[in-house]
Amino acid sequence: MGVRKSDIVLLDDKGIRCDGRSIEEPRRIMIKAGVLKNANGSAYIEFGENKILAGVFGPRDVHPKHLANTDRGILRCRYHMQPFSVGERKNPAPSRREIEISKVIKEALEPAVMLENFPRTVVDVFIEILQADGGSRCAALDAAAVALADAGIPMRDMVSACAAGKVADTIVLDINNEEDQEGQADMPVAYMPNLGKVTLVQLDGVLTPQEYEKCVNTAINGCKLVYEFQKKALREKFFGDSSQ
Amino acid sequence: MDDIKRKYVIPGDVITTGPYRAEDNVHLFGDKIIATTVGISEIYDSGVRVIPLTGVYVPRIDDFIIGMVKSHTSLSWELDINACYPGILPAQDVFGRDFNPKVDELTSRLKTGDLIAARVANSDRSRDPLITIADRDLGKIDDGELIKISPTKVPRLIGKRGSMIQTIENATKAQITIGQNGYVVVSCEEAEGLLKALDAIKIVEEQAHVPNLTERIQEMLGSSSE
Amino acid sequence: MNVTIIDQLKKKKILSLLNDGQRVDGRALDEARSLVIDTGVIPKAEGSARVRLGDTEVVTGVKIQPDKPFPDLGDRGIFICTAEILPLADPNVEPGPPNEDVIELARVVDRGIRESSMIDLTKLVLQKDKSVIGLFVDNSVTDYDGNLFDACSYASVASLLTCKVPKWELKNDVPTLVEGEFSEPPITTIPVSVTMGKIGDQIIVDPNADEWGCMDARMTITTNSDGNICAIQKGGHDGFTVEQLIKCSQISISTAAKIREILKQAGGR
Repeated sequence: MGVRKSDIVLLDDKGIRCDGRSIEEPRRIMIKAGVLKNANGSAYIEFGENKILAGVFGPRDVHPKHLANTDRGILRCRYHMQPFSVGERKNPAPSRREIEISKVIKEALEPAVMLENFPRTVVDVFIEILQADGGSRCAALDAAAVALADAGIPMRDMVSACAAGKVADTIVLDINNEEDQEGQADMPVAYMPNLGKVTLVQLDGVLTPQEYEKCVNTAINGCKLVYEFQKKALREKFFGDSSQ
Repeated sequence: MDDIKRKYVIPGDVITTGPYRAEDNVHLFGDKIIATTVGISEIYDSGVRVIPLTGVYVPRIDDFIIGMVKSHTSLSWELDINACYPGILPAQDVFGRDFNPKVDELTSRLKTGDLIAARVANSDRSRDPLITIADRDLGKIDDGELIKISPTKVPRLIGKRGSMIQTIENATKAQITIGQNGYVVVSCEEAEGLLKALDAIKIVEEQAHVPNLTERIQEMLGSSSE
Repeated sequence: MNVTIIDQLKKKKILSLLNDGQRVDGRALDEARSLVIDTGVIPKAEGSARVRLGDTEVVTGVKIQPDKPFPDLGDRGIFICTAEILPLADPNVEPGPPNEDVIELARVVDRGIRESSMIDLTKLVLQKDKSVIGLFVDNSVTDYDGNLFDACSYASVASLLTCKVPKWELKNDVPTLVEGEFSEPPITTIPVSVTMGKIGDQIIVDPNADEWGCMDARMTITTNSDGNICAIQKGGHDGFTVEQLIKCSQISISTAAKIREILKQAGGR
């Protein structure tokens, strides 16, 4: 594989980023609910160049039985990348990165899902990355939350996710692949928009305390923007249109 | 009853604030009453609830359901009842109290894939729901076609005082047996009537939220209805 | 994958209709379901396709990368085909390493394409015995409604027909990517797989999930553009008579011809 020289301008003097966006502008987002026939709930998202499919089964019987919790249902989550989803073909077997992201996504959804009324069951969330492009774990979460609502799993709130980061010494919203590789910090955040709780936050890179606060707030603004697309997807499927 | 305020909601939507009773499919956060499922919220004089438009069937005692046999042990059949738990039909329910596992073969009465009209006998969440077919109108279903709809759409398919189901049956001459769990069996002597009934059921499921659906189905099925 | 249990009423209906030479969805015995192919759905991959065969859906990507040749095959490139049934495709799929059904699926799809010599692997050599081009075709089943063999095969073939092979130059024996330059894949033929199920004495083409659950046995036959048979796989727990074997080959050749036209169109040929 050839090595490309890093000659892209991450932020020019007019405040325009390498892909033409402004500092607070997210990439193009499209979400569709109910796209699979067999899954109880499903959603498809395009977030920038990310193309991600999420499917939900449950609540259903747990196998093997020893995993069941007698007091409440459990949530299982699998984030998995197709071999053709990235630049260099990825081995189909789950990598350590995928396993960690699966866990982090599960823990971002757990505060929202209400499984107290479904003891001894499991809700399975399967997320398949068809094409990856920076910020895939946030896009994956956005699709998973819509799929859970599509399946009728009771939820305290939606979960909306978006990343912010630091690029050319500036806090920006929703960093893409180049900004992730050449930038200075990457902070994915998931947020419950009505309850006001952050359920996922990670950081790669170095931020001053002031930058950290700005980054968190920028990411949360991004989450609120994504929430509108999640609402639209569910309204279009269930209520026939996206308006009230 | 006319004072019910209705709104389309998704999980997390704040339906209202104030001193209402939080009922089905909502939860209380401070003084906000928040929807927990996709559906139609209703605020009536004292309470708030959401009628869900999606979700699994939750077994309730005495519900009439249609189940499919998945497997069996020497003492009971395990049923697919479209719920989050399998249904359990004890052998004694079918063979009677003299049931002897050494002599009585379960497969002689019901085998894998058989459909039964049944009732939920017992449902507490600490174990799988108990199912019974020990009644005159219950038992193995011998003909017809099984169609599965979302259990949340069953009330719509039945209609107010049975109006929707009667409209379809009268127009197509089909017999439709609706399980509360969303499993529906349709039988009809004429193949055309069967197809029309199946189509009508699918449309009711897809358009459950549309007003005046009964009239539209009646129109669709033509003036052959009474 | 454990097959979903078919309810007995449906099974009775499938069998009684078959006795009259009919199928539940109104298809003829030798008729495949509607086939919709979209290519280029994963722009980052070198080739891709999404296939809907009835309600079965597969997303396939082709990755093309330089690689070392196999030890005694230094004069040809590498072609590897895999398949995975994603757990969101069906409630009975368990995530984890592929089981024997999935491995058989991948190998049958691979064999059908490889034995037809669809890709002239001798044209994919950068440096004999040292450096070749590898074509990796990965099939991901996203929705299950029977007959994954054909759905994956069509998705793989459509992806290969529309892929773009990047260009590599050797600098000190190391393959270096030349950006922005692509070539057409070296295609010699278009293999088409046709899967038939046997229920009782009837042979039906492209069984859906319900028919798949009632089958006694199945046969997948791949033919190439010359109408010659290049791969066969028999599966299932019952056997075929010799007459049935011949009949299957005839059905597959005529059905494949129709499907080849759809693949050609999807492949822009």
